[in-house]
Amino acid sequence: MIKIKNLTKKYGKKLAVDNISFTVKEGEILGFLGPNGAGKSTTMNILTGYLSATSGEVSVGGFDILDNPIEAKKKIGYLPEHPPLYMDMTVREYLDFVYDLKQVKEDREEHISKICDTVKITDVADRLIANLSKGYKQRVGIAQAMVGNPEILILDEPTVGLDPKQIIEIRSVIKKLGRQHTVILSSHILQEVNAVCERVLIINNGKLVASDTPENLGKTISNENKFQLRVAGEERAILDALEGISGIKYVKSLGRKEAGSIDFVVEAEPDVDVRASIFNALASAKLPMLSLQTMDLSLEDIFLEVTGSQDGVYFADVDEEEIEMINVAKGDTDNESNL
Amino acid sequence: MKAIYKRELRAYFKSPLGYVFLAAYFFVASATFVAINMFLTGRTSLTDFFTYVSLVFIFTIPVLTMRLFAEERKSKTDQLLLTAPVRITDVVLGKFLAASTVLLIGVAASTIYIPIMEMYGTPAVAECLIGYLGLFLMGLFFVAFGTFMSSITESPVIAAISTSVIIFFLWLLGLLGLGNIQFARVMPLGIEWLGKALDWVMDFISITNRMYDFTLGTLNLVPVFYFVSLTGLFLFLTVRVIERRRWK
Repeated sequence: MIKIKNLTKKYGKKLAVDNISFTVKEGEILGFLGPNGAGKSTTMNILTGYLSATSGEVSVGGFDILDNPIEAKKKIGYLPEHPPLYMDMTVREYLDFVYDLKQVKEDREEHISKICDTVKITDVADRLIANLSKGYKQRVGIAQAMVGNPEILILDEPTVGLDPKQIIEIRSVIKKLGRQHTVILSSHILQEVNAVCERVLIINNGKLVASDTPENLGKTISNENKFQLRVAGEERAILDALEGISGIKYVKSLGRKEAGSIDFVVEAEPDVDVRASIFNALASAKLPMLSLQTMDLSLEDIFLEVTGSQDGVYFADVDEEEIEMINVAKGDTDNESNL
Repeated sequence: MKAIYKRELRAYFKSPLGYVFLAAYFFVASATFVAINMFLTGRTSLTDFFTYVSLVFIFTIPVLTMRLFAEERKSKTDQLLLTAPVRITDVVLGKFLAASTVLLIGVAASTIYIPIMEMYGTPAVAECLIGYLGLFLMGLFFVAFGTFMSSITESPVIAAISTSVIIFFLWLLGLLGLGNIQFARVMPLGIEWLGKALDWVMDFISITNRMYDFTLGTLNLVPVFYFVSLTGLFLFLTVRVIERRRWK
C-alpha cells in the first residue's frame, strides 16, 4: 500500500530523516515510535505530500507522491501534529468544507453524521471550533481525516491532549478503523503503540532503529530484569545480604528515601527470577523488605536496548561509576515526579 | 477550487475584514465624489474621482489579502489544503477569486454615483463605466500582489504593511514618470539614451500612468493587458512560492 525507499530529508544542513525504507501492507496498523524530534512528523509530512523529500521515493497505493500527487492524496486522510482547524467555523461547517475540498462522492448528510458519531462529536457539531476544548478539537481533527473514507489514515499523535477516558475511546476507534483502513500512527507513548498496532517502527535521530511486532519488542523489554527495592536497615548489611544471591548482575544504592530504609536498584540476569531469593536472604538477615517492584521501563530504556551502546548507555559495558551517576539521576527525577 | 472560494468568501463576512474593506472604500469614494463632483467642479466627469479613489486601494486591498496564506501557515491549516487532492493552482485561484469578489462588490456598488449624477445632469455613462473597469483591473493586480506577499510571510500584519508600502512606492515612482522629472532632459550629452531608458522604466512601472487612460474614459488594450498580465504573473509566483516551500 505504501512504499518508502531511501527517504532522506534535510532542513538546511540538519538531517531530519536519514535514509529510511519501509513498506506498509494493506489493512495494517503501523505504529511510529520515537522521542520528540526523532523525525516522525517529518516522515509523515513527506508521506502526505506536504513536504518533499531531499531524496528517496514515496509511493502510495501505486502512485508516486511527486509524479501523481492528486491520485496519491486521494487515498490518504491525514491528521497532522496540530489539527488543521479553522477557528472561525463550526464543526459542521468545517466538515462540510473538507467534504467539498476532497470532492467526496458519498451522500453528504449520511457520511458526515456517521463520522461525527464514530468520534463522538455530534453534540458539538454546531459549536464554533475556537470554543471547543483541546480533546474535542483533536477529535474534529480525526473526523477531518476520515472524511471521504480514504484507504489510508495517517495520524500524528492522535491521542495528544485527550483525557484517559477519551484516549481509550480513540484507541478503540483507531482499532475499528484498522479493519477497513491502513493506519499509520505516531506516538511517543509505548503503551499506546502496544495497545493498537500490529507492527512498530522505532525511529531515533532520523534513523530507523527497530521494526517489529509489539510482542517481540516486549520480549526485548522483559529481558531487562530490573527491580526497585526498599529495605529497612543499614546499607552495608543489606548489600552483604544480597551479595550471596546468584543471578544478580548488580545492586546499586539509591540512598535514603524513607526514614530508616535504603532504596536499591537490582538487575538480575535475564530469565532468572530472583525475587524469592532476595526475600529469603533479607528475611534471614532480619532486614525487613518494605517494597519490591519491577521497574517501569520507559521508552528511553527500549532505546538503550535497540540502539545498543552506540547512542545510548548499555549497562553491562559501563563502569560502576557511570552506572551510579545514571541511577542517581534517575532517582532524582523519580523523586520530583513523586512530589 | 470552489470549496476554497466559498470558504474564503464566507470568512470575509464572518470576520470584520470584508466589512472594514467595504466601509473604508465607500467612505473615501463617497467623500471624494461629494467633494469633487458636487462641490468643487460640479461636473459630471468622474476623471478626478478615479484618480483619487485608486489611491484608497493602496491601503485597503492589503486588508483583503493579508491573511490569505500567512494565516494558514501560522495556524497550520495549510497542511489540510496542501495534503488534500487539489492542485496548488486551485488553492491560489480560489483565494484570489474570493478576494476579487469582495473587490467587485465594492466597485460595482460604487457605480451608484452614475444615477446620482443623472439626477442633476447628463454624464457620459460609457466613459464612466470604463473608468470603473480600470479601477477594478488595477484592484485585481493589487489583490494578486497582496496574495503573493501573504504567501511569503507567516505574519498577516507584515504581509499587509509590505504590500501597502511597495504599492505606494510604485505609485510615487509613477508621479515621477508622469513628467515631473524627465531623465532624458537632465542627462548630460552622450548618455541621453540612459535617460530615455530610465524614463521608459519609470513609465512602465507606473501604475498611475496605466490608470490614466481609464480615468479619461478611453478603453485602451495596452493598460488592460498590463494589469491582467501582472495579475497573472503574481498569481503564478504565488503558486511557485508555495510549491518551493515543500523543498525547504
